[in-house]
Amino acid sequence: MYNDKESQKIVDIIQNFARKHSLFVLAYGTGCGAIEIPPTMTSRYDAERFGIRGAATPRQADVLLITGYLATKTLKRVIRVYEQMQDPKYVMGFGSCAINGGMYWDSYNTINMLDKYIPVDVYINGCMPRPEAVIAGFVKLQKLIQEGKADGWDRYKKNLDEYRANQKKIITNWVMPDFNR
Amino acid sequence: MSENILHNEQKLLNLLEKKFLLKESRIIRAKRVEVKVEPKEVIPVLLYAKENSGYIHFAHMSCVDWIEDGEFEVVYILWHPEEKINLFVKTRVPRDNGSLPNIDFIWRQANTYEREIREMFGLRFEGLEGRKEFILEDWNNIPPMRRDFDTEAYVKEVFFHRLGREDAKDVREKIQERTDEELPDFAKKYSRD
Repeated sequence: MYNDKESQKIVDIIQNFARKHSLFVLAYGTGCGAIEIPPTMTSRYDAERFGIRGAATPRQADVLLITGYLATKTLKRVIRVYEQMQDPKYVMGFGSCAINGGMYWDSYNTINMLDKYIPVDVYINGCMPRPEAVIAGFVKLQKLIQEGKADGWDRYKKNLDEYRANQKKIITNWVMPDFNR
Repeated sequence: MSENILHNEQKLLNLLEKKFLLKESRIIRAKRVEVKVEPKEVIPVLLYAKENSGYIHFAHMSCVDWIEDGEFEVVYILWHPEEKINLFVKTRVPRDNGSLPNIDFIWRQANTYEREIREMFGLRFEGLEGRKEFILEDWNNIPPMRRDFDTEAYVKEVFFHRLGREDAKDVREKIQERTDEELPDFAKKYSRD
C-alpha cells in the first residue's frame, strides 16, 4: 500500500522537512574556521533557531564541517569520522582553503580540493566566512535537503572506488577499517 | 651613556670570551647578545650559561638551511628572567652527514625541538631518543624544510588543482618597475615620499 510512487513522494517531503530542521553538527574543527562556530551557535547569531545544534560523536551527527585548511594528516581522521556518520550525512566546506587550497595551495601538507576526497554539499566562500555567511550556508543546505539534492552520502557510496583512489594517493600507509556501503 | 645601558650584555660577553673559544660574538642591540661557536663547544657554553650566568630559560631552538654554504645553522635562544636578556648561541654543521650533540639533559624540552629539526631538516643529533616519526605521517620524501625539496613540484604531483589559477602571473618585477607617476592619487596620499 505504501510502496507506490505517489505516497513515497509525500513521505519524502515529510522526511526532508524533519531532516532540514534538525541538523546536528559534529563538534569537530580543522584549521582556523572552528573559531567561527562558537559565535554562530551562541546568543548573538543563535543558530539553534534554524534547528542547528552540536553533537558530541560522529554517530549522532548529520553535518560535518571542514572549517578551513585540511592537513594530509587530518584528512585521515576526517575520512574516518565521515565514514562513521549515519546516513543521511552532509558536508560543508568552509573558506578558500577547502575550495582550492587558499593561501596554502603550495604547501606540502595541505590538500587543495576537498571534494576530491569526500563529497561536499555546500561550500562557503570567504577567509574565514563570518557567522552570517555560515548561517547562509546552512540555509542553502536546508534548501538542498528539502529539494532532495543534498545527496553527497549517496554519491560517496556510488563512487567509492574513485574517492578511495584519491584518498590512497595521499594516505600511503592505509590502515583503516572497511566502509560498508 | 650607552656603555651604561649595555652593561649587563657586555659583562656576559666578556665572561664568555674569556672562558670559551668563540668564532664570533657581538651585541645585536640592547637585550640581545649573539655568540657563534663550534659544534663541540655547544654543550659547555649552554651549561655555563645555565649554571653560572642565570640563563635558565630555554626559549627556542631553530634551524636555518644555508644551502649555498652547504651548512645548517642551529640557533639556541636562551632567556635571562631577571636581566631580561636574550642570548643567541649559533653553530654551523655541514649539511651532509653533519651531527650535533644532544642537549636534552640540560633542558628536557629541547628534546621536542631536536626531534622536529631531525624530522624537518634531516639533521642528526647524537644520542637523541624518541620515535623517528614526530609531526609528519608516512613521509617518504626528503625532509620538507630542506631548501632542495621542491615544494611546488611535489604539490603539482600529489594534489589536485582547481581550474582558475592558470593565469596567475608573477607581478613582482612589474611592481618594482613602477614609478611614482603611475601611482593612483589615493596611494600617493599615503606614500612615504
